[in-house]
Amino acid sequence: MTNQTSIHGILAEFDSVDGILHAAEKVKQEGYRKWDCHTPFPVHGLDGAMGIRQTRLPWLVLVMGFAGCSGGILLQWWTNAHDYVYRISGKPDWSLPANIPVAFEMTILFAALTAFFSMWILNGFPRWYSPLFRAKCFTRATDDRFVLAIDARDDLFGEETRKLLESLSPSTIEMIEAPIEDGKIPLKLKGILGIALTLLLLPPAMIANARFTKSTQPRVHIVPNMDTQVTHRGQEASDFFADGQAMRLPISGTYAQEDDRLIGEQVGFWTGKENGAYLSSIPMDVTPEFEDRGRARFGIYCSACHAVNGSGQGTVHLRAQELLSKTWVGPTDLRTDAIKQQAPGQLFESISNGIRNMPSYSSQIPAADRWAIVQYLKESL
Amino acid sequence: MNHTAPTYSADFATAAASRLSRAGFLCGVVGLAVAIGLGLAEGDHMRHFWLSYLIAFAFVLTLGVGGLFFVLIQHITGAKWSVTVRRQAEFAIGTIPFLAFLALPLLVPLFSHEGVEEFGGLLWSWVHPHGDHAALITSKVPFLNVNFFVGRFVGYFLIWSLMARYFKNASIEQDKTGEHELTVRMRTRSALCLIVLALTYSFAAFDLLMSTDPAWFSTIFGVYLFGASFLAIHCFLVLSTLYYQRQGHLKKMVTIEHYHDLGKLMLAFTIFWAYIAFSQYMLYWYGNIPEETAWYLIRITSPWTNWSWIEPIGHFFIPFLGILSRHIKRKPPLLGFWAFYILVVHYIDLYWLVAPNLYPDTVPFNGVEVFALIGVVGLFLWKYGQQAKKHSLLAHRDPLISDCLAFQNY
Repeated sequence: MTNQTSIHGILAEFDSVDGILHAAEKVKQEGYRKWDCHTPFPVHGLDGAMGIRQTRLPWLVLVMGFAGCSGGILLQWWTNAHDYVYRISGKPDWSLPANIPVAFEMTILFAALTAFFSMWILNGFPRWYSPLFRAKCFTRATDDRFVLAIDARDDLFGEETRKLLESLSPSTIEMIEAPIEDGKIPLKLKGILGIALTLLLLPPAMIANARFTKSTQPRVHIVPNMDTQVTHRGQEASDFFADGQAMRLPISGTYAQEDDRLIGEQVGFWTGKENGAYLSSIPMDVTPEFEDRGRARFGIYCSACHAVNGSGQGTVHLRAQELLSKTWVGPTDLRTDAIKQQAPGQLFESISNGIRNMPSYSSQIPAADRWAIVQYLKESL
Repeated sequence: MNHTAPTYSADFATAAASRLSRAGFLCGVVGLAVAIGLGLAEGDHMRHFWLSYLIAFAFVLTLGVGGLFFVLIQHITGAKWSVTVRRQAEFAIGTIPFLAFLALPLLVPLFSHEGVEEFGGLLWSWVHPHGDHAALITSKVPFLNVNFFVGRFVGYFLIWSLMARYFKNASIEQDKTGEHELTVRMRTRSALCLIVLALTYSFAAFDLLMSTDPAWFSTIFGVYLFGASFLAIHCFLVLSTLYYQRQGHLKKMVTIEHYHDLGKLMLAFTIFWAYIAFSQYMLYWYGNIPEETAWYLIRITSPWTNWSWIEPIGHFFIPFLGILSRHIKRKPPLLGFWAFYILVVHYIDLYWLVAPNLYPDTVPFNGVEVFALIGVVGLFLWKYGQQAKKHSLLAHRDPLISDCLAFQNY
């Protein structure tokens, strides 16, 4: 008996597919349970000869595939239609067509990962070492030999096992001894692993702590980006300057290149006024192109409120009425005498600086184009 | 130059094929006669009959050209699993010249002036553009005009017939000579043929079915019909093999493994069909552009709503769950049931693609469709049986046949 306890198992090497198929049939008939065949390539019929049952993997894949599918739909329902409702291009908050690609991907992801990892687990992987590796004949099991191994822990294992294998005419029979090591993890390694695992728990513990406690301290900036900068806000005090203000005026003589109003020669062109009086004519050459441009600019900038025909019934106005907005003041009808009688300079000034609740357009429309609009208002509308 | 490979014998199913052929011819004549009678009785210039005939014709076309796709793909991939069922697909492609003959009656609704004032044409309203979209359709006249349309179909059938003839004859020649070189040559030629077939079939799908709504367009339509055809041919092969096995042929040459493989491809192309069909639907739903959604609008509104529900449920979910399990794929009679079921929903799918374009306000489906389908499928089986009568059911000297029989699924 002492001899038997140190035996790991017995190996029989065959040099043909038929040999191992026949041997597997016999070993199965004898009623052995803890044994296996090792072949360099998949052998047709070996599963049947060994009496291996159909794998349960497909059921796992099916269940996890369904879980992925419903999980994908649930995720989208939760994020889009429940927790943070956000309407996208007028579609319903929760609409199945939009959810199907994600549900489809999740189905495949879950099914594929389940198939992959379950295959590992069901096959007993990961397994770094097997005593079979020490057998001489086993080295050719990945090359051109077929090996049948019976484990010594099998209830039927004994003297007859060797005889049985011999009767199957293998090319070699080899006993392998159990490893001298007991296969247990050394205490030192256990300690190191234990400490490492404990340390790994610290970050989640700290996060959990921070998540559920209150603090007066500013929050920790792991990635500060540009959240805090050494800049001054308007009206802020500063010790740096003698007057104690952070806001500074530009150095005298500075002018913005784009600020056309400061160019003195053509004050009328830039402001619509000359010596306090509105210009009575357009200070530009009126050409057909100029008029076309005026029409186009009016269509782009003005028609949203004033309507293409200048009636003041533009889409913005219609929308405001639809919403029954109480603060809305309708756009002016540009075809009325009150407008027609205004000097071009005055119209220009209204466009440039805005009037009542119409905002200034000087930053959006260049001065020449504003004059083109004035021309269009006066002559064509 | 056979070496030591085991030899297999030819399998002539003359009696079984003759029975199939005779039954097909009978169904064909009776079915079409009844359909024409019922169609005439409706007094709608035969419009309903021509619709039924078009769909039935499209149905057998998907089997014939689907068979061509099948044969080409087996050759280009050097497939071993399919050698013992490939001959039946080769019989299916042998019917393609006959399908060109079956297409000839469609010239009647194309050239007919009946119903032109009302619809613009019995089937294809672009023949005489009318109504809201007349200007749009007129802009497509350089492509959609009767002469070019007929010319294109002459071209399609010429190309398909030549391909079918080559691949069928080369395979049958191998029965006599056992020449391995033929397999190599077929593999080389299948590459170019596949490209040409994919393009011509795509355009044929546009012409034959999509142009029944000439204002609508979908670039994926050809792929859609390809997916449906490739699905249909696998179902047809399952049923055909079941028939011949029941008649005592192919007993040892087509095993559970081959049924399993056919079943796997049925499952794969059920999914592929759903993928393509849904891709098209979702993009149009998202874009929400009137000229694109109009096509779906008539289908999801009454009276077509219920037909439309058949598509996702009947054409995808039910067969998907039905043939998902390997145990079902490995039981030939069960797999045969699902193959038949899928062919039925395949017909419904083709009907759904076309009929609402012509009948937006009613579902015209009645006996005319049923008898037209029986008739046209009957004529298809007549020709299919005639092919099978003359040649072995088995490409018994194909160099890959041993591998085909040795293969096992896990």
